[in-house]
Amino acid sequence: MRGLAEESVADMSLAQRSRSWSGFDAEFSRKLGQAGLLGLTLPTEYGGGGRGPFARFVVVEELLAAGAPVAAHWIADRQSAPLILNFGTEAQRQKYIPAICRGELLFCIGMSEPGSGSDLASVRTRAERTDEGWRLNGQKIWTTNSVHSDYMIALVRTSGTSDDRHRGLSQIIVDLKAPGVDIRPITDLAGDAHFSEVFFDNVELAEDALIGEEGGGWQQVVAELAFERSGPERIYSSIVLFDAWLAHLRGAGRSDPATTALVGGFMAKLAALRAMSLACTGQLAAGESPVVEASVVKDLGTAFEQALPLAIGDDLAAYPDEPVSEELQAALTFVTHIAPSFSLRGGTREILRGIIARGLGLR
Amino acid sequence: MVNNEFLEPFEQMLGEVFPPAAVRAIEAGASDTGGGEAAMQAVEESGFLDALVAEDAGGAGLAIADVAPLWMALGRHAVPAPVGQTMIERAAGDSDTDKRANANALLRAALIAGAAGRLLDMAVAYANERVQFGKPIGKQQALQQNLAVMAQDVVAVRLAVELAASKGWPDMAQAATAKSVAAEAAPRIANTAHAVFGAIGISAEHDLGLYTRAIHRWRLEGGAETLWSRQLGAAVLASTQPSVDWVRETLF
Repeated sequence: MRGLAEESVADMSLAQRSRSWSGFDAEFSRKLGQAGLLGLTLPTEYGGGGRGPFARFVVVEELLAAGAPVAAHWIADRQSAPLILNFGTEAQRQKYIPAICRGELLFCIGMSEPGSGSDLASVRTRAERTDEGWRLNGQKIWTTNSVHSDYMIALVRTSGTSDDRHRGLSQIIVDLKAPGVDIRPITDLAGDAHFSEVFFDNVELAEDALIGEEGGGWQQVVAELAFERSGPERIYSSIVLFDAWLAHLRGAGRSDPATTALVGGFMAKLAALRAMSLACTGQLAAGESPVVEASVVKDLGTAFEQALPLAIGDDLAAYPDEPVSEELQAALTFVTHIAPSFSLRGGTREILRGIIARGLGLR
Repeated sequence: MVNNEFLEPFEQMLGEVFPPAAVRAIEAGASDTGGGEAAMQAVEESGFLDALVAEDAGGAGLAIADVAPLWMALGRHAVPAPVGQTMIERAAGDSDTDKRANANALLRAALIAGAAGRLLDMAVAYANERVQFGKPIGKQQALQQNLAVMAQDVVAVRLAVELAASKGWPDMAQAATAKSVAAEAAPRIANTAHAVFGAIGISAEHDLGLYTRAIHRWRLEGGAETLWSRQLGAAVLASTQPSVDWVRETLF
């Protein structure tokens, strides 16, 4: 496992490795699939590892710590395949899951729209029934890796209007190569283009594009988000930078009390967060859906990820005579600039705190 | 640690021996109540002071992981008497000062975890009850967001304590992890509780101050977040391991 991860990053710069789970390399994902390291939570009859969430935690942690380019399989392995397993028909399971486990089928998630960010229930993209299946019209945005993906699992309206809120929403598997799908990449402030706008203009889909129950999309999405929010990737987005800083301090022989306390404080937080993420993993392993707990992990975890580049920048700037490698500087700059996205993607900080407040009985 | 058969009788005993009035009297050093001595005598009779003492030496032979929930219960009751300290003292043996210091740091972190949990319960209950602007203040998003952050701190402190207590008597790294996380979060937790309660929480007659005073005391006793983070950081910088490897091998 570690050998594969190290091999995958051997030719990558520190700044590239700092992209963490935004780094895309389809060939590496296929290698992981061949090595049996994808679909670890999925049953062996569908090509999975039959191992469960803890095995996946071990593998994911190793990949993130190395800064391996995991984006190609990330979403399919984490949430699309479990979603299809839980809510799909036998035919859908057979069609998608084995190829996901081989790292050959790439998925993205279609939730946000230009008019629907945090207020997800207001989505307007609509799938209408036709004689052959479904006709899709509308638009998604901020869709990570859609330009590389084979399929999107989209949350769309199949009945009613935006005023019906959670009712009338369904999840649809969209073949992104179908006629009428138009994907336009959006460049981010760091110069990367990992997300896109996706337009649907009379996209004709077969009957079996519907995943789960018609009108049950909201409940399915909520369950899916527990997978999305509790994993190590909500703790480790700045870990490559953290390790590079530790290596710098060790190399410089620095042992001043302020920096030493800073290092220890971050390490203590890292340990507590890892314990929390493992506790959520335990709940997933027990078949539970830790919605509130996952929100706690994500909010605290992303706060940790965001604090690191600021503190590291401040620490390095306090020692102007100490040479900082260009690599470390580039990684620091990248993580500092992109860090605000950590508490936007996958549910904003404010929305997560609302979920926690509901869990406390305040709403 | 979840199903701890000792926890219920221990909490019941604490409820009887350390009601808020007794906590106030002990804190005030009231000589007319015999200070904390009478209370400690009552705890002594319960047998819990020998919780960590080996069975063949006449104790209960409990592990640190079994005792940590009892320490958190002491925090929930804002117990001002040296119950946890005495447990450590009786089991620590002759002269191992590091062993004592580490265990005492974990104890303070556990006390903070317990008091923090109590403060969260109190703050949430009050936010649902106190009406301003025609509705409970807990319906205001501003308070909901603050209480959500408080809940996160409470969970983080508890899990840091449970992690540090999971492998027997804590070494420096385990103790430092728990105390660093707990001490750093403690003032935020206390401040949010006070913000929710408003002026009534500042009054001497209200019980809120029992827990917030205790939390500040436990934060500083034996060193707060900077001291323990510095020790932990020195160990990290002295190793050559990357962060995740270090955390996994040292603390899990």
